[in-house]
Amino acid sequence: MPPAIETDRLVKEYGDLRALDEVSLRVEDGEFFGLLGPNGAGKTTFISILVGLVRLSGGSARVFGHDVVDDYREARDAIGIAPQEFNVDRFFPIKEVLMHKAGYHGIPHDEAERRAEEVLQTVGIYEKRDQRFDWLSGGMKRRLLLARALVTDPDLLILDEPTAGVDVELRHDLWEIVSDLNDAGTTVLLTTHYIEEAERLCDRVAILDHGSVVTVETPADLMDRGTDTIYVTLDADLEAPPALDGYVVDSWLDAGRLAVQVEDGGGTAPRLLGDLDAAGYEVVDLEIARTSLEDVFVDLTERTGGVA
Amino acid sequence: MWSIGGRTPFKREVQRFVRRPKNTFMPPAITNVLYFAVFGVVLGGRIDEIAGFPYIQFILPGLIVLGAISNAFENASFSIFHGRWNEYIDEPLTSPLSYTEFVAAYVGASALRGLLVGIIIAGVGRLFAPISVRHGAVLVVTMVVICVLFAGLGMIGGLFARDFDDLTVMNQFILRPLVFFGAVFYSLDVLPDLWRTVSLLNPMVYMVDTVRYGLLGYSDLTPAVSVAVLLGVTAAVLAIDVWLVKRGVGLTD
Repeated sequence: MPPAIETDRLVKEYGDLRALDEVSLRVEDGEFFGLLGPNGAGKTTFISILVGLVRLSGGSARVFGHDVVDDYREARDAIGIAPQEFNVDRFFPIKEVLMHKAGYHGIPHDEAERRAEEVLQTVGIYEKRDQRFDWLSGGMKRRLLLARALVTDPDLLILDEPTAGVDVELRHDLWEIVSDLNDAGTTVLLTTHYIEEAERLCDRVAILDHGSVVTVETPADLMDRGTDTIYVTLDADLEAPPALDGYVVDSWLDAGRLAVQVEDGGGTAPRLLGDLDAAGYEVVDLEIARTSLEDVFVDLTERTGGVA
Repeated sequence: MWSIGGRTPFKREVQRFVRRPKNTFMPPAITNVLYFAVFGVVLGGRIDEIAGFPYIQFILPGLIVLGAISNAFENASFSIFHGRWNEYIDEPLTSPLSYTEFVAAYVGASALRGLLVGIIIAGVGRLFAPISVRHGAVLVVTMVVICVLFAGLGMIGGLFARDFDDLTVMNQFILRPLVFFGAVFYSLDVLPDLWRTVSLLNPMVYMVDTVRYGLLGYSDLTPAVSVAVLLGVTAAVLAIDVWLVKRGVGLTD
């Protein structure tokens, strides 16, 4: 099976602005892949090229082996997309909107109706099926976007900031639905600002900044890149951090406590305690602050000049 | 065989205008009742026959053309632009429709609306004057071709429009003057030579004249030539539509 998404030096230029700068990414079939990046990093441009809403300026992109330009019909048929914007047909009740979308993908009327009802039940707005989009609440609109993405039973589900501005309950509902789909074999590409979302859901994440891929790793590997901080309360008043060589990235005094920045807090703490004991300090309390994916994200994007 | 994917946007378009007769079919019906009442009955009684036809009968083909092409143009331009404006045109765009299917759906549905409005106007006209179709095949072919032509032009308008005012400008300041000076209300023979020649540059003249030939059997020009030219222009416009959609003009960044 070819990869769900494969791009090779993908470029998109808007005049002088290079929104995507030779982006090469590979998302495997069945993977839950996150695309992280600050505003303007090129995330939406990237997925818009896959579904044909943005024309690429250079390079290539393939969806399950189908080139998005030459074999655009096969590529688009494989994708269900829930975009950030509420781009839904205002003229028809939402059930018919879903049936139309299914029909565009060649699904016969009766089957389209069955699927429309099924996905409306899945996202929890079946009772609103005869209403038009404009009369739905914000949360229901977000659910409908997911339903529309699902009605064609896509092999690749693309979610562009699906939980932006939604309440906690809906966010968890959406996570559960999408996780179940991924467990059933659907490849998911998720763009999000919520680091927790990526950390919780994604097998791998790519960090995009200024149109370039900064890194592609698992959330766990990314977190390993970060540093932990060990806060130690000693029975003595310190005027300066004691000398601790070999494994310490940085150290400082923090509200009377000794703060020691290390790469692996859990693994380093016993050695630190031993060194402090050897130096004659008595340790009263110890706390390890683990690095977060958010810290790594901020660090990586600031390093490339982005704004997190 | 028309695929399900190709049929669905056509059906959606037809449903959109059929379900809103107050916006789509009633306005031309009422407008033409007024035209026939004023120009046909009130004023027409004071105007001599033109080319052997009562005035009300003479203007009927032109009014059918005016209503049909206006509606075909308006449907395509509005539907495309409204979809762009609210971005729901992304629904078919992100689907596996071919560019030709996309154009066929919008143009076909818009042309159908134009034809239905033409039939409604003919029905309204029938209330005021007897109608007997003289050359049915010419009438049908011409009406289909000009409705498709203006639906195709409407699509171009919808793709290039930047706001709703642009659509109004196209309809009110370009389409309507061309139709009104397209020999709807008079015969070319009544014009001085200079203006007759100038009128021949107006493509509407050929449409109105050919429909009048199909309906009344009277023509100022040569119907076969007019139909051939219209077919050629229509094919060119449809090819431009497909090319524009393929290029993503007005549709993609």
